[in-house]
Amino acid sequence: MRPSRPISAKSCIHRRDFLASGAALALVTSGHRSNAQSSKTGTVRVWGEPGPYGGVAVAAMNEWAQKNAPGLKFEIETIPWDGVYVKLMTDLAARRPPGLISVESPIAMQLMAEGLLEPLDDVSQTVGRDRLADKLKWEYFGAWTSKQYIMPAHHQPHLLLVRTDISKELGLSDPDGWSWNDLANAARTITQKKPEMAGICMALGRNLCTDYHFAALLHQAGGKMFDQRNKFEVAFDSPETAEALEFVRELQQFMPKGAVEYSFLQVVDAHVTGKTAMSFYWGRTLGRAAEEAKPIFEATEAFNHARNPRTTRRSNWNDFQGWCIPARNNPFVEEAKQALTYYLKSTPWLVKYCHSLMPNVAPVFKDQAESAELRNHPFYQSKARTVDTYFNTSLEHASSTANELLQGVNPFAGIVHGRSILAQTVQKVMIDKMSPRDAAKWGARELDSVRKENIQLVN
Amino acid sequence: MLIDTGAGRGSPTPLPASRSSARRWFPELSDNTVGLLFIAPFIVTGLFFMVYPVIEAVRMAFFSYNPLRPEVTRYVGLANFQFILSDPLFWDAFLQGTVWTLLSILFQTLLGVSIALLLNRTLPGIAVFRGLLLFPYIVPTVVIALIWRWIFNPEIGVVNYALIATRLVDTPIYWLSTPDMAMASTILLNVWKYTPFVVICVLARLQSVPQELYDAARVDGAGAFRRFLDVTLPQLREVLIVVVVFRTIWTFNKFEEIYLLTKGGPGTSTFNLAVYSFEQSIASLKLGVGAATGVVMMVMLLIGSIVYLRVSGFGREEAGA
Repeated sequence: MRPSRPISAKSCIHRRDFLASGAALALVTSGHRSNAQSSKTGTVRVWGEPGPYGGVAVAAMNEWAQKNAPGLKFEIETIPWDGVYVKLMTDLAARRPPGLISVESPIAMQLMAEGLLEPLDDVSQTVGRDRLADKLKWEYFGAWTSKQYIMPAHHQPHLLLVRTDISKELGLSDPDGWSWNDLANAARTITQKKPEMAGICMALGRNLCTDYHFAALLHQAGGKMFDQRNKFEVAFDSPETAEALEFVRELQQFMPKGAVEYSFLQVVDAHVTGKTAMSFYWGRTLGRAAEEAKPIFEATEAFNHARNPRTTRRSNWNDFQGWCIPARNNPFVEEAKQALTYYLKSTPWLVKYCHSLMPNVAPVFKDQAESAELRNHPFYQSKARTVDTYFNTSLEHASSTANELLQGVNPFAGIVHGRSILAQTVQKVMIDKMSPRDAAKWGARELDSVRKENIQLVN
Repeated sequence: MLIDTGAGRGSPTPLPASRSSARRWFPELSDNTVGLLFIAPFIVTGLFFMVYPVIEAVRMAFFSYNPLRPEVTRYVGLANFQFILSDPLFWDAFLQGTVWTLLSILFQTLLGVSIALLLNRTLPGIAVFRGLLLFPYIVPTVVIALIWRWIFNPEIGVVNYALIATRLVDTPIYWLSTPDMAMASTILLNVWKYTPFVVICVLARLQSVPQELYDAARVDGAGAFRRFLDVTLPQLREVLIVVVVFRTIWTFNKFEEIYLLTKGGPGTSTFNLAVYSFEQSIASLKLGVGAATGVVMMVMLLIGSIVYLRVSGFGREEAGA
């Protein structure tokens, strides 16, 4: 921190003046954290998921560093989705954490409950707690024991992507009005009438993507992994789980044969290369199709998921992704806080973040969401409805494994995903030909062992 | 350091000043001491990187240890062993690992001996061919696994393309999507990569078999197959025993090929004990359970190797002589 006026060694300073100056200096330091200078040097490692948006945020942080910490450089390190859990856990365990992490909400919430993160209440106050966009709450991103540990980065729902050229050609109805039965019938019709194309594609491999895809169906059926309102007792062994598994089994016959090993990338590939007419996915598919397969991009629209015929729920799996700062063995906690504050207070940088891969990362702050600059993107002309579905209307159906049916934070979800328990449950039915009821029982046993081993996280 | 070889004792010559000064500081060392000093770096490295990890793994097998919560580490006795021995996935992984090991070794041995016999001839350019044969063995496993994932890709893989182009199949084969095919694919990769190791070992032995033995067999009227059975195979016996033991240990412990190619899937159909140990240690953060799995693997391989060496009679000839 630079003093407000130069102090000459030769100046005659009275004791009272000196104390007053010191007090003023202390006040200035505490009140204007984002302007504080840092003399630290080195590289602040920032972990983010694959995609250009993490790089945009880091560019903003480097802008802060140039002004306030010339010896520091923020550097993005991309962690592949299927490796994120292992990478995070092993590096944290090895006491070599990054300075700042942008990670999916289930894992962030596990880290939060483990006590591995720095509380960010001060950052949230400075950024502005009233700035959050409508239908979003701070707790969705990560609050625990009345403290905010995770700052919003974006929200990111997976939806139903439909090739409208195919659906029109085959005379299918508007996907926005579909129930599960309509979805299955549409997939069947496409499979029968388009021999070179699968009707629908979702991930069925033993991976994180399958966990997320299946979780949405589970929540649509009204099922849950844990009951947050009852001491996190396992609620997975239920008719709802069996119903969701049964539905996946029904859909599998209309999927690419290789779907049992598909993860994130393969589902995008299948859609972008025209191997499937429908898929469950986040906005990334459209971003890639716009670059690689223009006709498929033009024909694809996103819809909120088909309704479960019994519950009428259209739940998606929405990643309320946030920024968190490891508390232990992190030499750059203060600098990460200040750089993050600088970035999150800058609407232009937040808009650039969304623009970097439209419509994959949805805005989370009002000024960001309402910015005229955000609408200054070609997708707002060519895909206005789809963008609005990803950014706004999907929030009505938001759910997540880290906050099931938005009934409360679930710190076990990260551990569940680390072990791919949902995906393994799905594979018990798809590969081992176990009955959905028995698979639900198997999954419930696994979830129960997660609960028992980690009960201290919720006590 | 002075090395006293014992030479030149009859004609003592005065040592240069620097050497006599060195002798003052370093006493004369015996051959044994010098030998020990030479192997000391290996012993220290081995103790640090091999013996210590094994001891630490054995110790950890009796503890419950989550690296995120080191403060709650506690001694659990045999609980980790009880956990794995009552876990159906452990036994599935053991059976699948055994199948993968036995079939890989069988095909590697058959192909390795066959190729070595073919290469044990003096043909123009054979040296170049022998060199090329090592290619799969020297390429890093990560590279190979990623290439094979492309080769096996059902839509754009070269294997399916070739099979469909030659009309051997009508529809793409999903190499990694069904349990049986995934197991076959991982075995195929292992055989492709490690057969050259068998070839090199067998070829080296073949080239030292005395030609007189074959000549004598011919004089006795033995045909090619008979000569192979009665001359070649007995000569290869010792080297094959060693190759099979080493290849079995290495294959049973193999992690990276399976993990990179199938991640143990689809389902858990290509899990072996190494993948099981990794999943327990890293994905579930149960390092004690992972360590217990490693200890059980070590004991299994130790017992298997001793039994195999006893049954095969390895070293019996030398002992008899």
